[in-house]
Amino acid sequence: MAGSEPVSFMQQMVSLEYKLRASPVAVDFARRLCAGTITGHACPECGLVYTPPSGFCSICVVPTNTREHEVEIADRGTVTAFTIVNPIQYRGQKEREVYAVASILLDGASGTIGQQRLGDVDLDRVRMGMRVEAVWLPEEKRKDSAAMGAGLASAIHHWRPVDEPDTPLEEFAEHII
Amino acid sequence: MAGAVPTYKLEFPYKRSLGPIVGAFLTGLRDRQVLGIRSAAGRVLVPPLEFDPETGEENLEWTRVGEAGVVRGFSWVEEPLPKHPLDRPFAWVLVQLDGADTNLVHVLDADSRAAVEIGMRVRIRWASETRGHMSDIACFEPEAG
Repeated sequence: MAGSEPVSFMQQMVSLEYKLRASPVAVDFARRLCAGTITGHACPECGLVYTPPSGFCSICVVPTNTREHEVEIADRGTVTAFTIVNPIQYRGQKEREVYAVASILLDGASGTIGQQRLGDVDLDRVRMGMRVEAVWLPEEKRKDSAAMGAGLASAIHHWRPVDEPDTPLEEFAEHII
Repeated sequence: MAGAVPTYKLEFPYKRSLGPIVGAFLTGLRDRQVLGIRSAAGRVLVPPLEFDPETGEENLEWTRVGEAGVVRGFSWVEEPLPKHPLDRPFAWVLVQLDGADTNLVHVLDADSRAAVEIGMRVRIRWASETRGHMSDIACFEPEAG
């Protein structure tokens, strides 16, 4: 594109391509997730339940990587914190509308899962303590990611409110960051 | 527990503002000419700097240099990586263009490691289409004869 105008800008693509081999624990979690179940690992010493599991308890420093440590976690929980996102329309941005993400303390888990998309809710109704449940992707849309150790968002489209009383603050206060 | 190893790609599409000196240099490349600046001491700097490295003076005089020059240093790449400018073995070279007092880093398309030596003469091979980018110089090649 030879022209006569002086060159004053330069396009530069900074690009990083990498491969990530998922750990067996992550692959296992993704497989169960693909089949519609959220799993966690319970520490045999302190009893804390980790989801997604890491294969060990970082407090007790013991492995939790066998089937006997695996527990099923509800696809329902409590919003402990949230953010309303107004997506800036930078190049590549796919979000067009304002939306909410939340940290959710799932029933049966000892810690929250972060960055979870909320939906089917008025944004001014989103609040700490709100009870939500998973809206799963159709099963055929989950399969690709199973062997990749993918996270919750690969199987769960969003979380929507359920008609239950809010969880009292004192029941999740320790999970607010 | 094998399975496919997924590939991820992280990209940042920048649009960089070049400023008056680099902008003019790349404008020159687009027009298939190499420009340098002359320092207060009379040294011709290619690529150009925005100020005289010895005196700090700005607004230096532009001067055009040659399309051929001398290899002052090189590093041979036997196995090019996917993002390298050539898909066959090549050399990174420091080229002092005719009329310049400094070296320009670029690529030399040479047949083999044995075909590259310090002091050899090389010439610019222009890209088929120039756009105001360092890659308007596709590479250098050994000067014929």
